[in-house]
Amino acid sequence: MLHVQNLTRRFGEHTAVDDVTFSVPSAKMTGFVGANGAGKTTTMRMIMGVLTAHAGEVLLDGRTVTADDRATFGYMPEERGLYPKQPIIDQLVYLGQLHRMSQGDARSRAQELLERFQLGDRRKDKLESLSLGNQQRVQIAASLLHRPSVLILDEPFSGLDPVAVDSMVELLREHTAQGVPVLFSSHQLDLVDRLCDNLVILQKGRLVTSGSGDELRAAAPRRHRLTVSPDAGWVREEAGVTVIDVAGQDAVVELDNDDAAQRLLTAAMARGRVHEFSRIRPTLSEIYRGVSQ
Amino acid sequence: MSTITKPQHAAHQPEGAPPSAPGGTQPAWLIVTLREVMVKTKDRGFAISTLVTLVLIVAGVVFNAYMDNRGEDFSVAVISDAGRSVVALADEEGRADDGNTAFEAVVVGSDDAALDEVRGGDVDAALLQNEDGLWTLTGKEEVSPGLSGGLGAALESFALSTNAAATGSSPQELLAGSELEQSLLEGSTENQAVASVAGFAFGFLFYMAAIIFGLQIANSVVEEKQNRVVEILATAIPIRQLLYGKVLGNTILAMVQLAMYGGAALLALNLTGTSDLVGGIIPASGWFLVFFLFGFLILAAMWAVLGSLASRPEDLNNSSAPVLALILAALGAGLFATGQLLVVASYVPVVSSVAMPIRMLNTEVALWEPILSLVIALAAAAALIHLGEKIYRRAVMQPGALSLRKAMKLEQ
Repeated sequence: MLHVQNLTRRFGEHTAVDDVTFSVPSAKMTGFVGANGAGKTTTMRMIMGVLTAHAGEVLLDGRTVTADDRATFGYMPEERGLYPKQPIIDQLVYLGQLHRMSQGDARSRAQELLERFQLGDRRKDKLESLSLGNQQRVQIAASLLHRPSVLILDEPFSGLDPVAVDSMVELLREHTAQGVPVLFSSHQLDLVDRLCDNLVILQKGRLVTSGSGDELRAAAPRRHRLTVSPDAGWVREEAGVTVIDVAGQDAVVELDNDDAAQRLLTAAMARGRVHEFSRIRPTLSEIYRGVSQ
Repeated sequence: MSTITKPQHAAHQPEGAPPSAPGGTQPAWLIVTLREVMVKTKDRGFAISTLVTLVLIVAGVVFNAYMDNRGEDFSVAVISDAGRSVVALADEEGRADDGNTAFEAVVVGSDDAALDEVRGGDVDAALLQNEDGLWTLTGKEEVSPGLSGGLGAALESFALSTNAAATGSSPQELLAGSELEQSLLEGSTENQAVASVAGFAFGFLFYMAAIIFGLQIANSVVEEKQNRVVEILATAIPIRQLLYGKVLGNTILAMVQLAMYGGAALLALNLTGTSDLVGGIIPASGWFLVFFLFGFLILAAMWAVLGSLASRPEDLNNSSAPVLALILAALGAGLFATGQLLVVASYVPVVSSVAMPIRMLNTEVALWEPILSLVIALAAAAALIHLGEKIYRRAVMQPGALSLRKAMKLEQ
């Protein structure tokens, strides 16, 4: 497990990341969300050791990460970076060697990844001759090349077409299946919903909340949908009930506790027919929207 | 939140793939060095320019040799026996001297006829004597130095023997005691000539290599900075190793190229037989390579820093002025410095790369002098690479162009 403990980074007077603590559990995908400028990239750079933290530390399985640990991490920076004028295979082998792979191993692994992205026959092409989407795939291959022990991916899905997103997701799932903790930032909340077991939410450099989907849902306000006939307008007067929305026979309400739910249901049955009374399970993107308002 | 046992790095290798060789891989700086060399040697432009330069060097040597050995034939219009004797004497001297300058007398009837021959282009010049005994050499538009020199010397000996005979003496008697031998306390006159040629060659080679490979280093740094590859590299290896690899790789390339150029020139000199002086150049060339290495290391560190401060390759045009000035100073030392100035220059790092080998060609230099100069250069190289590393480490992660002062204040 990767653990970020009280990380802080200032740029001059501005505190970009302020005392942020969260965990990226092994074998799980953790989504890292927050508006632009929330401090996601700065946090990821500190995790990778590219930026020095002014306070706090990064722990791997309970001990401070070293440069040697980080060399086994896979990293995809926000600003994509490879050599435009170099053949793809050459630069992947070079990066693999820098990550302490043997040349032969780096070459076969690069070949394997390129084939998965349907780029096997373009391995000798210069990077700049590829479309932007394909360059992005090469960038992903570069971060996965050395069979990383931890994956830190800054906006890995931006610029990918749906097919590429699917093969990327498949690759990431293979890594989590092998126990790798994956932290990725994204503005695509539907993807976050689909992929994440965990969520970390930053706002203006501070941690808003973090945890597993179940933990976050448990902490979210308890909302229920009620459909009754002839009309749901009466719910406004019930005690312990906050009305979110009422339209004709339908109402969405927030309830203080379980007692309030039982009271509401009893009242509804007394007033007419109850067609639906159900707990609304919020999506992670709804939770994100809820906490970042 | 569930806690799962630590993922072992080696425990999740996809099946069938060989495990990465632990400890069996090369050090990072060596991987970077090899890449720098490979990328450059695979670059077609680099291969072509190296080849063209090699051809130019050999062609230059061969052309020089050809010009030196090329025979000249002069025909000269004369009207008198005296004129014919002078031309015959010049012919004798010319053939004796380098074996291939010939003078031929064309006897005509009158001064006007002689001048007509010149005008018509049938002869190279007319050698005529007026009533007062004064000789005139008349050409059409110019008189070649070979022609006037040969005839002038011949006329002098002709007059000397004629006049000596008139006074009952001989030229030998008249010239007795007039010979001046030349010697130098330090070095030899022959070395002086070699030194001036070699000085130019050393200076120019240093200038070329320092700029070509220096810019290559700076460009390779700025490329990684601009493309943000450096952010990935920095997570894999210490940035310091990246700098070392770049400096070392390009230094190797520069040294190999320089040795190739020098080798080609010496070989061509030998083969064309113009190599009387080569023996004197070789030891100095060896020293030059050693001095070049140290001077280049200093410049390489500077170029790397310039690259890390720039944001685009175009920025280098503006920021490279100080380094270029230093390289020009080295070139200038090779071309112009003499005496005390040269002695001082031979201890100034970078400039010493050219100045010390030239001093060693010019004069006897005690062995401790080049060694001391190398130690100074080595210390400067170490200090600059250390300083360069600090700036490089800070600046290269920072997007955009930076001033040196700003870079020093940055934190990582």
